[in-house]
Amino acid sequence: MTSAISAIPAAKAAPRAERPPQVGKAVRLTLFYLLLIIIALIFILPYLMSIFAAFKPLPAILAQSPLRPPTSPTLSNFSTLFSQYDFGRYLANTLLVTVILTAGQVIFSMMGAYAFARMEFPGRDSLFWLYLMTLMVPNIVTLVPLYVLFAHSHLLNTYWAIFLPYVLGVPYSVFLMRQYFMTIPKEVMEAARLDGCSEGRILWRIIVPIARPIIITATLLAFVFGWNNFMWPLIVTNSNSLSVLTVGIAYFNSNFSVQWNLILAGALVALIPMVILFAIFQKHIVNSISLTGINR
Amino acid sequence: MNVAATTTVLTKQQKPATIRDTAERRRTIRTAFTFLAPSLIGVILFLLIPIVMVIGLSLVQWNMLTPMKWVGLSNFVNIFEFDGFGHSLVVTAYYVILNIPIQTVFALGMAMLLLRKHAGSGLIRVIAVLPFLSTPVAMGVIWNWIFNPSGLVNQFLGHLGITGPAWLSSDATAMPVIAFANIWQYVGYNMLFFLAGLGAIPLTLYEAAALDGATKWEQFRRVTLPLLRPTMLFVLVTGVIGSFQVFDTVYVMTNGGPGNATEVASLNIYNTAFTGFRIGEASAMSVVLFLIILAITVVQFRYFNKRITYEIA
Repeated sequence: MTSAISAIPAAKAAPRAERPPQVGKAVRLTLFYLLLIIIALIFILPYLMSIFAAFKPLPAILAQSPLRPPTSPTLSNFSTLFSQYDFGRYLANTLLVTVILTAGQVIFSMMGAYAFARMEFPGRDSLFWLYLMTLMVPNIVTLVPLYVLFAHSHLLNTYWAIFLPYVLGVPYSVFLMRQYFMTIPKEVMEAARLDGCSEGRILWRIIVPIARPIIITATLLAFVFGWNNFMWPLIVTNSNSLSVLTVGIAYFNSNFSVQWNLILAGALVALIPMVILFAIFQKHIVNSISLTGINR
Repeated sequence: MNVAATTTVLTKQQKPATIRDTAERRRTIRTAFTFLAPSLIGVILFLLIPIVMVIGLSLVQWNMLTPMKWVGLSNFVNIFEFDGFGHSLVVTAYYVILNIPIQTVFALGMAMLLLRKHAGSGLIRVIAVLPFLSTPVAMGVIWNWIFNPSGLVNQFLGHLGITGPAWLSSDATAMPVIAFANIWQYVGYNMLFFLAGLGAIPLTLYEAAALDGATKWEQFRRVTLPLLRPTMLFVLVTGVIGSFQVFDTVYVMTNGGPGNATEVASLNIYNTAFTGFRIGEASAMSVVLFLIILAITVVQFRYFNKRITYEIA
């Protein structure tokens, strides 16, 4: 990030010229970059300030400006979270649940998408419409009955409860991948079938490599959803040993209301993996979000 | 959604119908349903059955311990008379009205600003999308800190000689701050759709408009906006559906307070169901919220469909 920020002043200085026709352009460019810097600050400052604060002791957070970097950075907030409180557990729970949720959701959605896109069976189109209709159902609407279902199946307060509703494949993901699979020429699969390839092999060996962009997109979306999910884990778990990070942070927020050092460090434990994920996949994420929009 | 176009097309070499053929067909069907089974079970168990259930549950009185009691439609009256659900709907609508127009205008504005490649504009695009991935609960507690009475915002206002309010504990400012947090989170995400939409408009249309003497503003009104309608529809529909369900940020930033000034519909459903254990009332609330979201979605589709008349070959 820093390299491109430092490039901005240089670019701003470059077009400055004395001749009148260029003055307007220079002014406009300066304004443009001023606006760009303001936008960048609005999006970066919250992260930057909480990183500063998470490495300061509480008195320093309360006394200093949030914009001031820590003079002697300390890891004590994080070590308190992990040794005196259960943040290690929360982190492990979140990771476990999110990985299971993501793997299941992507694989099962992919299988469903392949059946819808490239296999023939009675009732295919009406079943696909059924999937599409469920896209219109807001999560909040199914929340209470889902809870009742889980309570009756004695699944409350288990790991299963946290990921089960999302692990079998979700209509949105099926839809997304189906649209992509439809663009793969039928002849490719027919040739493989004539060669005696099983459908599972075709999906795994032929479709998956071709459809990699959309599979990565579905994986990222599932992972981000699982990692950030809050309301459902909040409802179906009430023991500390099963808490995920979001639930742990919310608990801290309501019970340690002035201990900003711990609260902000806790927030960063959830945020940093997402920032790293973003840093690795940013090009892909940016491209694939636009992709999901056009597909719809 | 161009689903209608994808009807089944039976292909290939006309083979004579033989016994081997039907056996093969049956095997294909079996494989297809094996592939479909997991997601189909998921859809039935976790979407279709709950939808049927929520309607049933909205007609009973039940605390999950004692047996259910059939009460007909009375829950739908009681939630408005005793549970403040009317207030929650008003608060939610207020949130949506604060959220959606500003978010859409800023997303479009940023997209137009960043459409042409200048040094640095690519970086800003990326930075603006980062909040989309950021855990809303974690961002919520960061905003709590930034907007606390002696936080950054009030320190800044103090330098200007203004005494800032206690943002999240005053009726007038709590909801706007929550709306701000959500706009911050999703504006970059929506900007990406506008960038894609703007990028698809042929430059020749602007050149033609300029030749006809259209000003920049007229070009925006008569070329950009009409051609962006599909994008606009997508951004508005997903935005409205999402913001009618806002929960995470509200829960950590105000938990409905001060008083019940920010008790949005989903928070009311949550409290009714999981602290009051009044399943019937919470289900009735869910049904009402669903119908409202559905109605608004249908209206949006109608409005935009009528007006999407431009087709670029």
